[in-house]
Amino acid sequence: MEPQATRKVRLPLRTLALLLVPVLLLAVVIGVFLGSGGVPDLQSAAPVESLNIERYVLRRGSIDLQVRNSGPQPLTIAQVVVNDAVMPFEVEPTASLGRLARARIHIEYPWSLGEAYGITVFSGNAIPFGVDIPVAFETPQPSGRTFLGFTLIGLYVGVIPVFLGILWFPALRQLGRKTMSFLLAATAGLLIFLGLDTLVEALEAARGVATAFQGVGLIGIGAVSTFLLLEAIAGRESTGPSTEASQRLAVAMTIAIGIGLHNLGEGLAIGAAYNVGEISLGAFLVVGFIIQNITEGLGIIAPVLHYRPRFGRLAAMGAIAGAPAITGAWIGGFAPSPLFAVLFLAIGTGAIFQVVHQIGRLIRTDMGPRGLPMTVWAGVLTGMLLLWLTGLWIK
Amino acid sequence: MKKSLTRRDFLKVGGLGLLGAGGATAAARTGSTVGRPSHAPMHEMGHDGGPLPGTGDVDTDKNGFDPAQVLTDFDYGAVSTLADGRTLREYEITVINKNIEVVPGIEFAAWTYNGRIPGPTLRCTEGDLLRITLINGSNHPHSMHFHGFHPGVMDGVPGTGPGGSVEPGASFTYEFDAGPFGLHLYHCHVFPLARHIAKGLYGAFIVDPKGGRPAVDREMVMVMSGFDVDFDDVNDFYAVNGIPFYYQNHPISIRVNEKIRVYLVNILEFDLLNSFHLHANFFQYYPTGTSLTPSEFTDTVIQGQAQRGVLEFSYRYPGMYMFHAHVTEFAELGWNGMFAVTE
Repeated sequence: MEPQATRKVRLPLRTLALLLVPVLLLAVVIGVFLGSGGVPDLQSAAPVESLNIERYVLRRGSIDLQVRNSGPQPLTIAQVVVNDAVMPFEVEPTASLGRLARARIHIEYPWSLGEAYGITVFSGNAIPFGVDIPVAFETPQPSGRTFLGFTLIGLYVGVIPVFLGILWFPALRQLGRKTMSFLLAATAGLLIFLGLDTLVEALEAARGVATAFQGVGLIGIGAVSTFLLLEAIAGRESTGPSTEASQRLAVAMTIAIGIGLHNLGEGLAIGAAYNVGEISLGAFLVVGFIIQNITEGLGIIAPVLHYRPRFGRLAAMGAIAGAPAITGAWIGGFAPSPLFAVLFLAIGTGAIFQVVHQIGRLIRTDMGPRGLPMTVWAGVLTGMLLLWLTGLWIK
Repeated sequence: MKKSLTRRDFLKVGGLGLLGAGGATAAARTGSTVGRPSHAPMHEMGHDGGPLPGTGDVDTDKNGFDPAQVLTDFDYGAVSTLADGRTLREYEITVINKNIEVVPGIEFAAWTYNGRIPGPTLRCTEGDLLRITLINGSNHPHSMHFHGFHPGVMDGVPGTGPGGSVEPGASFTYEFDAGPFGLHLYHCHVFPLARHIAKGLYGAFIVDPKGGRPAVDREMVMVMSGFDVDFDDVNDFYAVNGIPFYYQNHPISIRVNEKIRVYLVNILEFDLLNSFHLHANFFQYYPTGTSLTPSEFTDTVIQGQAQRGVLEFSYRYPGMYMFHAHVTEFAELGWNGMFAVTE
């Protein structure tokens, strides 16, 4: 058989015509289908309606719902029931929503601090859509005070633990090569754990996205494209003229970026969770969290322990890894959007697994031809167990 | 509903104490008004000026019936006298599938007697001969099952004869002597029963004692029911005489010292109990209306499904007075009304 590559390229015009044939036929088929009224016996008896209640905002004496018509047809908001009481309401801009259109439902309601509320929105076809407010409290509005609050949350969750981990650098530098490989493997283990966590978060957030936006598909797009993009960037760097040291620094930097994206998602989730009142106070939880996230800082320095990166470089990586938690908390706290949450978490997932991949390559280089499989096994397991065990504190 | 808390959800704890109540900003109050009645009467405003539970008005013209008329609409039938001197009353009732706007914006695919919910209030005197012709103008079999004395073949229950299940397009005449005197009801008894009732096939059936009850100034009928608009066997809205919040939006005008008699029927499906509570007043209660001596002087009465009773009262002072289910959940879901009492 003649190989493809040697075949002559056809005339562009003819190729174009051939390409168009199925398209034209498709147009004909669609025309026939629509012209004949579709498949008559398969018309749905009841309207398929879907309303996503994307967010609720509580202010003194009122409840606002942000909704989106995620069904295939236009939808009308007809009635609102709050805790078994039919309440007057206003809809902005209009109660009739086209496909994927958004609206804000304003309900004057004297809610009480700390109590739970269930709201049902009825469409004109009497389809009920519900949202639960597990704990009612005033939704934080952007102000100096709340801004500072979310910033501090991000600091505690992201920045401080990462920098604390980086402070291990001088001590760990004293370790031997074998221990170093173990540490790298442990970092990979940590990241695998975080990656799984981020993926699950993404899948959970995807359930809150309007069906038309195909949340799970978005996760695939975000994760795979991030993975491949970082892979391409890393490949370009490794082919260029570079020293071992600069290559390792590049790996450390990508780890920092990966952890940063993870922490962005973390901040988003925190801000959003604060908004919906999923609060569990307890100082020991904060402590547990700091302990757990210290390991993230450890991950950043692991590849560069044998080299002497400048302090500024380490600080920059710490900031890249930790600071996005603050940004995430702002976005999640003030403008939560399920769509962005899914995208950010998907990007975080892709980034983390790419970093794992890269660390794997680094370990293989370090091991040389002989290899130390048990060290790698023990390292990865240790990393994962570390997060699992510290997780016991805060779950 | 408790969502599972994830690892991240705990992170916020670090700064929670720092997040105080944000500055409350007044929400912009523009946009289309949907749930609010065009004219908000005084009684609809909370003491703080906020709105109370309620809806605007439904399109009674399009619905084809108005609870204001249902309240005092007694159907005595086509009256004639039999050879033996007895009174014959003939009624014609048609089952009609009809979309009823139960609350603004929501049409309920109802099944109705004569196009209204509740069906006509049939009224007669003990001993009258009744001929009630049911014409099934819908696409399901239906029947009329009366509470009261009658032969088994007139019971309107599947298996008791042609009147037990009247096919679409067919008709059947139920014939029996009215009795005992009291306040009764009728409803469809075709399987699935709960659905046939919940869809709207019910009405009041009053059998007056010979010579009638003692005279009062005004008589009213109130049929308590609910609407399960999303068909999950849980009522979404509650009403008296078919339309939730109707008498809240349109108070019933009465005068001080006017003697009022209310024929109260509960046909509420899915919920175990219903009730009636009268504000700032007490009433004489005649359970099932089968005695002319009241059994209780009270301001609240509880009725299970198909329980009914006659209430008699008058107001001493002018003012606005609520009457509602003292299952308060029902009240805020539609079973709430007002008497506007004037001198």
